[in-house]
Amino acid sequence: MIEKLMFEKILVANRGEIAIRIMRSAQELDIKVVAIYEETDKDAYHITQADEAICIGPGPRKDYLDIEKIIAVAEKSGAQAIHPGYGFLAENPDFPEACTNAGLVFIGPPPEVIRNLGSKVIARRIAAETEIPVIPATSTLSPDAPGEKEALEFADEHGYPIMIKAVSGGGGRGIRRVEDEKALLSGLKRSRSEALMSFGSDEVYLERCLYRPQHVEVQILADSFGNVVHLGTRNCSIQRRHQKLIEIAPAGLEAALSEEICSAAVRATRAADYLSAGTVEFLVEPDGSFYFLEVNTRIQVEHTVTEMVTGIDIVREQLLIALGEPISFSQDEVVERGYAIELRINAEDPKNDFLASPGIVQVYQASAGHGVRLDGAIYQGYEIPRYYDSMMVKLTVYGFTWQEAVDRLSRALNGFLIIGVKTTIPYFQQIMQEPDFIQMRFDTSYIDTHPHLLEYSEEEREVDKIARLIAEINAHGYNPYAR
Amino acid sequence: MQGRINSKMSVDEILGILRGSGGYYLCNNERDVSQSDFKNRLMPMTTMRVAPHREEAGFFSIEVSGGASIHVDLLRKQVNPFERLRITRRAMPNTLLQIVCRGASLFGYRHYPESVIRVTVQQFAKYADIWRVYDFLNHVPNMIPIFEEVQQAGRILMPSVCFSTGKEHTDAYYVEKIKEILEVTGPDVIISIKNHSGLGTPKRIGQLVEAISAACPDVILHYHGCNTDGNDIGRMIAAVQAGVKICDVADHGYGAVYGQAPALTLIQSLEDYGKKAVGMNIPALVRCSDILRRERRIYEPFENQFRGHDPTVASYKLTGGAAGSTFEQADTGGFLDRMPEIFEEMARVQVELGNWWSVTPGSQILWTTAVNNVLFGRYERPSLDLKNLILGRYGPLPFYDPQEWICKKVLAYQRSDGKKWHEILAEDGGQVKPRDPDLERERENLEAKLGRPASDEDLVLYLQHPFDAAAFLQFEAQYGRTWLLPPEVWFRSGGFKSGERITFEDEHGKPHYIEVMSTRREGGTVLTSLVVDHTFHTVSVTVKGSSVLPTSN
Repeated sequence: MIEKLMFEKILVANRGEIAIRIMRSAQELDIKVVAIYEETDKDAYHITQADEAICIGPGPRKDYLDIEKIIAVAEKSGAQAIHPGYGFLAENPDFPEACTNAGLVFIGPPPEVIRNLGSKVIARRIAAETEIPVIPATSTLSPDAPGEKEALEFADEHGYPIMIKAVSGGGGRGIRRVEDEKALLSGLKRSRSEALMSFGSDEVYLERCLYRPQHVEVQILADSFGNVVHLGTRNCSIQRRHQKLIEIAPAGLEAALSEEICSAAVRATRAADYLSAGTVEFLVEPDGSFYFLEVNTRIQVEHTVTEMVTGIDIVREQLLIALGEPISFSQDEVVERGYAIELRINAEDPKNDFLASPGIVQVYQASAGHGVRLDGAIYQGYEIPRYYDSMMVKLTVYGFTWQEAVDRLSRALNGFLIIGVKTTIPYFQQIMQEPDFIQMRFDTSYIDTHPHLLEYSEEEREVDKIARLIAEINAHGYNPYAR
Repeated sequence: MQGRINSKMSVDEILGILRGSGGYYLCNNERDVSQSDFKNRLMPMTTMRVAPHREEAGFFSIEVSGGASIHVDLLRKQVNPFERLRITRRAMPNTLLQIVCRGASLFGYRHYPESVIRVTVQQFAKYADIWRVYDFLNHVPNMIPIFEEVQQAGRILMPSVCFSTGKEHTDAYYVEKIKEILEVTGPDVIISIKNHSGLGTPKRIGQLVEAISAACPDVILHYHGCNTDGNDIGRMIAAVQAGVKICDVADHGYGAVYGQAPALTLIQSLEDYGKKAVGMNIPALVRCSDILRRERRIYEPFENQFRGHDPTVASYKLTGGAAGSTFEQADTGGFLDRMPEIFEEMARVQVELGNWWSVTPGSQILWTTAVNNVLFGRYERPSLDLKNLILGRYGPLPFYDPQEWICKKVLAYQRSDGKKWHEILAEDGGQVKPRDPDLERERENLEAKLGRPASDEDLVLYLQHPFDAAAFLQFEAQYGRTWLLPPEVWFRSGGFKSGERITFEDEHGKPHYIEVMSTRREGGTVLTSLVVDHTFHTVSVTVKGSSVLPTSN
């Protein structure tokens, strides 16, 4: 039982699985939770899991991004703190600022930290100052023709391919790989426009493209007492268009390299005066060279894999840190054991370029069993709205060995029964059978180099197919296929 | 059971046992019973329900595939013919599986190209242990590719001689025909006497068997007969006494008329003559019929319009296997009341066209000709198949050609070039082998229809019946293995009541249920709400016009 000072009530400024995830940790600490929702999201599962719920507007999406409204309902509800989750306002420095101004605790880093680390250029400078290798890159490119000239000079010096990145980017948006001068010049325009649309700023910069790197990241926690602890590595190399599909903990690096990267992450965190949970991302080349990529100043989708291998509740730590408590364990107490793999079961059609597949979840039977964790946001009969992201449930499995984790994940995927919408399950089932994945041989090119994974047929339960015939016989009054 | 033959034995071992046995063996010809008496509608789950008892009953073999059954599997039963063989094998692991093949017409109605014949036999031979092969003209070359493939696959070859009556059908003819077959196949085969219409007296059949046995003393003989005239027990008694080693029979629970005579009646009769049915377990045999008597009620709508034995078959010679479809056609065509007239005409046509054997595809030619003759005037509307027959496309007629006036009417029908019938015969006559298709191209065609890779088995079904096989495979993709449903559900009329629960086991023995919760109609759509293995579904079906909805809703 926690005897110390504790929040009585917090507001979760998010929806879906992450809202529920946060509520669970809060409720375990006996904190009441206020959910918010837009009218277009009134059937969302997170509402049912909260102690209170407040509709913040007609939606879609715009009310979840409305700082004023959210602060107002937080005040009205008597919440003392706000957890932003991920996405929406999570990395908008104006949000913690507004919280502070309203006398509310923001469960995350201070606004200046978010602002600094949100700028890729400043973040790179922080990394470089703490002797963390950074990928050769330009500073923010000048607008228009001068910017194009700077870009061409960089290309002359480092050669192709080159990555174009939005200075305020994240989540894969505004990132583009270009192979030649023509693509560079047209890509600059498109990335600027994408960046402006997504982040409100068209600033971009260039980065040398690494050869088949692995995406490795380090989960860190920092408290207001200057303690910084890392919770080990994650491997998020399996990405589609720079968006993570499968995440693994630990990353599977040699012990010395892993230690070096984790130590670098702690240095960068300290240098940034970080607070709360965050993630420092790196790219690792096959020869073990690693480069700083960025810092994500929020709880991440894939935090569950770290929780599974360390046993630490990261959201609980976030809440305690926000309350002014120190991190509840030391670095020495952090032990990674076994492997965890997480993937996102989305309402998408992988065969149709992963197009969202909104609709009614007619049947939902979830998988379960030893080592299987679900962070879900759907229920049977739920209509997945087309306005929000298509994630239905996050599946994380734990295995004492890599092979055990893969076997378990394969089994867990087979244990799902979802009818009514197309899902990413059959695509993941393909990956579970793929030899390179089974042998843990993957880098960021994995999806592009394994296009055959899309060649699958979706298996429907035999009994459900037969039920369709029963409905036909019932409707016609005879079996039209027996005549 | 001592002397019982089982599917694990080699061909040599099986033939050795048969040659050395003093008794006789029985084949349960469920396929022919289904075709002859139930319009081919006996469903696989009926076979499964009785399978353990049939297995225990000790049949030498069970004929479950071939003939028209493959087409009807695809067309009316929505079951994969290969799957039906696989599940029967699982349910009856010791009993040999028998298939009947219509020579170059395989399981269809016209001659197939040789490459199609070979690839089809190769695929079916993976499951079928015994191949009963015939040609309606007893033209041996039409059967050779099948003989070769069956023997190559290491299966038991059972070449047939079709039997009929009349002055041409002498012992000498049949003995020579069997010698001609043995020249091609060698001695390690079973020769079947295919008395497809149940013709001849017991005395005649006894004489024939004696003549064959005398001329070919090492030959193993099988007898396949229909019980249309009610006298096949007598013929089988005579046949076994004269040396036949295997007879095709039926379960007495089916009470087959146009199919085979009851096994138990034959066993009891032959016991009096000191002949033993090897391997047979009588209590198990009786249990089979106890089950089938109950099952039979499901198939009542498919039983023939004319029930009861018909000794006049001796003149019109309609094969038992064609009885169901002919009566059905007559009923649908509105001329069922003219059947006696049509049967008289069939007898005339039979003689006029050469007195060959009324079995597929010849039986269809005789039937269609007789019907058209009755309805439209004699040979006024000859079919294309009749024309092809007279042109010799199926092979030479065995005894004599039709009279000139018939040839003239048939060959000149709908010709506008003014050519005389003998000119047409001279130019177009003779057997023309159908051109071999490009099998890979056919596979691509099928794959385009299915949107998935096609297996060799899929391809073979498609080559046999292109439209119906593709439609079946599409059905299976959408509705699954619906043969798992109880037959009474498959044939359900009038829909389901709310609360009705349908239960069945899948092929792995796992039980499933589908409970109908409610039915409601919205315009042209019927919404059926179901609980399927604990999960709730609502399925909407668009119906044309008015449908019969359950009254309890």
